[in-house]
Amino acid sequence: MWGTAGGVTDEDRLSRAQARTIIGRVFKMAAPFRKTMYVGFACVIVTTCCALAAPVIVRHGIDAGIRAKNTQALNQSVVMYLAVVTLSYIFGRMLFLYVNRTGEMFLRVLRLAVFRQMQRQSMAFFDRNKAGVLVARMTADIESMAELVQFGLLQFLSAGLMLVFSIVVLLLLSWQLTLVAMCVMPIIVLASIKFQHDSNKAYLTVRERVGANLSALQEGITTVRVIQAYAQEQETKDKFFKSNRALFDSHERSVRISTWYFALVEFSGVFASALMIGIGGWLVHRGDVTLGTVVAFTLLISSLFDPVQQLSQLYNTVQSAGAALSKLFAILDAKPEVDEHPAAITLPTSGVLKVDNVSFTYATGEHPALNAVSISVAPGKKLALVGPTGAGKSTLAKLMARMYDPVSGTVSYGGVDLTMGSMDSLRQRIVVVPQEGFLFNGTIRDNLRIAKITATDAEIDAAVDAISATEHFAQFPDGLETEVRERGSRLSAGERQLVALARAALVDPAVLVLDEATSNLDPGTEAEVERALERLMSGRTVIVVAHRLSTVQRADHIAVIDAAQVAEYGTHAELIAKNGRYAALASAWQTSQLVTEQN
Amino acid sequence: MSTIETDAEVATRLEFEQTQRSEGWKLLRGMLREQRRNLLLGAVIGISWAGFKTAVPQMTKNAINQGIEKDGPLLKWVLIIAGLGVLTGLLSGMRRYVAFRESRWAETLLRERLFAHLIGLNVGYHDKAQTGQLMSRASSDLMQIQGFIVMIPITLSNVIQIIAVTAILFYTDPVLALVALVPLPFVNISARRFSNRIHPASIAVQAEQAQLASVVEESVSGVRVIKGFGAEQVQFDKLRKEADDIFGETMKAAKIRSSFLPAIDVLPALGLVGVLGVGGHRVLNGQITIGDLVAFNVYLTLLIWPLRNIGMIVALGQRAAAALVRIHEVLSTESTIADPANPKQLPSVAIGATTLGAVKFDHVQFGYSPEQPVLSNFTIDIAGGESIAIVGATGSGKSTVARLLLRFYDTNSGHVFLDGVDVRKLKLRDLRQQIGVVFEDTVLFNDTVAHNIGFAKSTASQQDLERAAKLAGAHDFIGELPNGYETVIGERGFSLSGGQRQRIAIARAIIADPRVLVLDDATSAVDPSKEGEIREAMRTVMSGRTTIVIAHRPGTIALADRVVLLDGGTIAAIGTHEHLAATNTRYREVLASMDQPKKVAN
Repeated sequence: MWGTAGGVTDEDRLSRAQARTIIGRVFKMAAPFRKTMYVGFACVIVTTCCALAAPVIVRHGIDAGIRAKNTQALNQSVVMYLAVVTLSYIFGRMLFLYVNRTGEMFLRVLRLAVFRQMQRQSMAFFDRNKAGVLVARMTADIESMAELVQFGLLQFLSAGLMLVFSIVVLLLLSWQLTLVAMCVMPIIVLASIKFQHDSNKAYLTVRERVGANLSALQEGITTVRVIQAYAQEQETKDKFFKSNRALFDSHERSVRISTWYFALVEFSGVFASALMIGIGGWLVHRGDVTLGTVVAFTLLISSLFDPVQQLSQLYNTVQSAGAALSKLFAILDAKPEVDEHPAAITLPTSGVLKVDNVSFTYATGEHPALNAVSISVAPGKKLALVGPTGAGKSTLAKLMARMYDPVSGTVSYGGVDLTMGSMDSLRQRIVVVPQEGFLFNGTIRDNLRIAKITATDAEIDAAVDAISATEHFAQFPDGLETEVRERGSRLSAGERQLVALARAALVDPAVLVLDEATSNLDPGTEAEVERALERLMSGRTVIVVAHRLSTVQRADHIAVIDAAQVAEYGTHAELIAKNGRYAALASAWQTSQLVTEQN
Repeated sequence: MSTIETDAEVATRLEFEQTQRSEGWKLLRGMLREQRRNLLLGAVIGISWAGFKTAVPQMTKNAINQGIEKDGPLLKWVLIIAGLGVLTGLLSGMRRYVAFRESRWAETLLRERLFAHLIGLNVGYHDKAQTGQLMSRASSDLMQIQGFIVMIPITLSNVIQIIAVTAILFYTDPVLALVALVPLPFVNISARRFSNRIHPASIAVQAEQAQLASVVEESVSGVRVIKGFGAEQVQFDKLRKEADDIFGETMKAAKIRSSFLPAIDVLPALGLVGVLGVGGHRVLNGQITIGDLVAFNVYLTLLIWPLRNIGMIVALGQRAAAALVRIHEVLSTESTIADPANPKQLPSVAIGATTLGAVKFDHVQFGYSPEQPVLSNFTIDIAGGESIAIVGATGSGKSTVARLLLRFYDTNSGHVFLDGVDVRKLKLRDLRQQIGVVFEDTVLFNDTVAHNIGFAKSTASQQDLERAAKLAGAHDFIGELPNGYETVIGERGFSLSGGQRQRIAIARAIIADPRVLVLDDATSAVDPSKEGEIREAMRTVMSGRTTIVIAHRPGTIALADRVVLLDGGTIAAIGTHEHLAATNTRYREVLASMDQPKKVAN
């Protein structure tokens, strides 16, 4: 009613071929509930016919009944009218249910399919796509279609049908008056096209400025302490007011565009009925049409104009839904890079983790993150990876857990190439403990069970015990049953780390890949995390990306990774004796420690 | 769970809600009064539109009765109708324009009032308030109000139209009017009930959508964990549950639509059936003309939209009232920290030989809530130019000291002095301009480096900016940014490292050359290897200036002349670092807990 178009940017507009493909795929996805869809369509057809039948019945009543002074014909048409009204009510109710049901079922299928496909993607996909964008695909993009599904689809169908049917009915009633009506049509059509174009542009500006205004508002509220500390209230207000006035201006412009359009539409309606009566009256005098026809035309004229308006306004909604769909289909079409080999075998329960001549690049054309690296870790041994930021140590660790596949060379475990191992066995043998413990909504126990869905409560308790954290979690009001609240805001960084370690303990893998935290944990839990880590590592093969001297000193072997290659390899003592890069790094670590202590 | 209220309690609550509501409406009335001239214009336009619009069917009737049924002047009536078309077109466009413009203007002004008020509210308020809540006051609540105001002129003309049409119908034929109008009040009732029921339903849908979004969000951010353990199915099951919930809630909404919207459509049609049936017979009996009958038809269609709109505005009004109450609540909150009635001036020349910037806490007692004192009997004299490090365990009240000096909070008892003047006797702006702060979590604005550094001094020249940046050790890396000082930084701009952010914050703190510098340990959020750089910058800016360092790391303490050890809200010891380290066990304990990570490294 207020002409709020969906808003679509030029680059989002689809070509005809793209649109055809999308429509085809939508119908394919709708297969499971095609029946519901067809019932919905049928309801639309019936209600549209009813809407058009009403003026025709009124015409019959006036001409055959009243003007011919035929009471029976009049009564007949009243009964018919009542029947049509009842029919349109019944089918109207069904229409809402079936059309909405179809749409919502489609969105549900779409949500599930896109999410499933997103989850199948490998890490590289999540590196390439920002988290915010992926979330937007699953939320904003799908919700943008909800409007279309709830109102748009229905309006679109009925407006289209209404337009076609009314032309047919009008032609059947009187071709002369139809011709007159068609003379006014171009005004509406052209105005509607221009309006949808202009209002779309204005709407995009409004949307952009609403965004800017909200950011300014949020920035003002979240930085209020800084603003007050520097007594910059006035300046901040002035800046906000500017963005606020810019928003008002864009609203005003958008209203101005719709002002003349709605004025023209209203004028055209009245003008058209004036024409109908003028020319129709003349035709009645000539005996070409009946008065009933003229009356029917003045009533029907709006069913000719309204659909044009509706269709033009829906154009943008349909376009932006199309754009959203094409982005979603792109996700559905994405092939995961790291996938299970069709002939995958179970990895052996123990063995040497061996990196053989491995090269790796995150994106084609970029500098290699690893260049012909070879290294191996014997069962039960600990390897520390050190080196400058960005040299490739984390990449190497990730490849050793098959979070990525090498571009060339192989990573193998117990003699089996990881790319040939089944995903299940890979996850049982090798577990990655990230820098920060990530928590999902739910209880602590739910968060542990993520590691092994089939784990019994007893197994989970045992895993917590294995890292000596039973006592710590018992301190929470509901123990392991405690809700972690929004992303674990209830737990400290150290406690989140404990959860991550307990998860690893639950899987009980042969190999652990650790990414050591760079920043310090809260002093209270730091010691507990250290102890848990100690227990978890004992007896397992460990690869650790190290940032601290203490961690490195405890490793059996150390590899210095620099410029995508293994620069040095050996034990702590060997490398110190060599007096190379590692020795330099170790002495730098020691000095910073001394400085701190002297202070 | 329902709690049982006594009659008196219910009465008090209702009375309170009543006051709140009437305060909300008062706010709206005040806003509208400012725009009364344009709103009046809108009303006049709307009423004229209603008048002309109502005249159209009358003219149509005349055209049919005189021009078609008889051999009267048809062209005259046709021209009159076309003329009315021009008028109603113009007026309806103008009515729309005025209504929307005025409602947007009211929204704009109210948002500015809200923002200005929020920015001025004391920090204590903001510590308790949730950003999301305040944001929704200034966005969705204002939208409700705008949606209501826009309907005011439109509703006014709708009411006039309904009255005029009803009058004409009864004048033409009371019996037929009665037949035609009987179903119409139900349109209004249904529209109102629909609006009331669909609103909570769509809010429920939104809530489900938000839950789905949070599952997606955690699945994307936690993808490493999910992939690492092969827990895709767990998340998929969660998502399916949310998708099913959305489906369930949207279908509930669809059911509401299906039970109201077709009914709202069908009710006026029943009137039309009645008009054809009863009216047809009355034409046959010669009681009315055929033109009357056609006019009746047209009039009834004219009533449909106004009746629906009026039904809607009742529901809109209820929501707007709730929004107004919430906004009024914010606007009526007074800042507890304000300029004094008779402000004093800070001395511009130091007393005696000391430099400016002497700070004194005199028997200060303070707690965020009365039951939990954070500082008690806190007394310290800091000479101008002296630097003090405040050391203490988490929760010992370290950061509170800075908040009291800035007057983010007022003491419960005792006084805080800057250069001999009680901070409560100073204008807030005068006080705060003399204090440069670097907060523990560095807050940068989404703006250029130049704006961020020059934040406290809008008149700062490029030289001023560079001088401050050089002092803070930021000039060199700023030079390497893509656009130098004009590079946009912050959340949506170029991302800086923790250490770089800190140095920009330090430059911002000193650009206005404040008498006192407060550094809430700038090194705590930084990678241990970068600590040195920050400390160097801190050393430079502290020289010759009163500085209060809230220390979280041992390295920072060495920068200060004296160390204050806070324990349980009181000063446990004051002295040089060496002296305290040698004599005070508690001091050594606190140091050790700070030092923990490094100790592990041994």
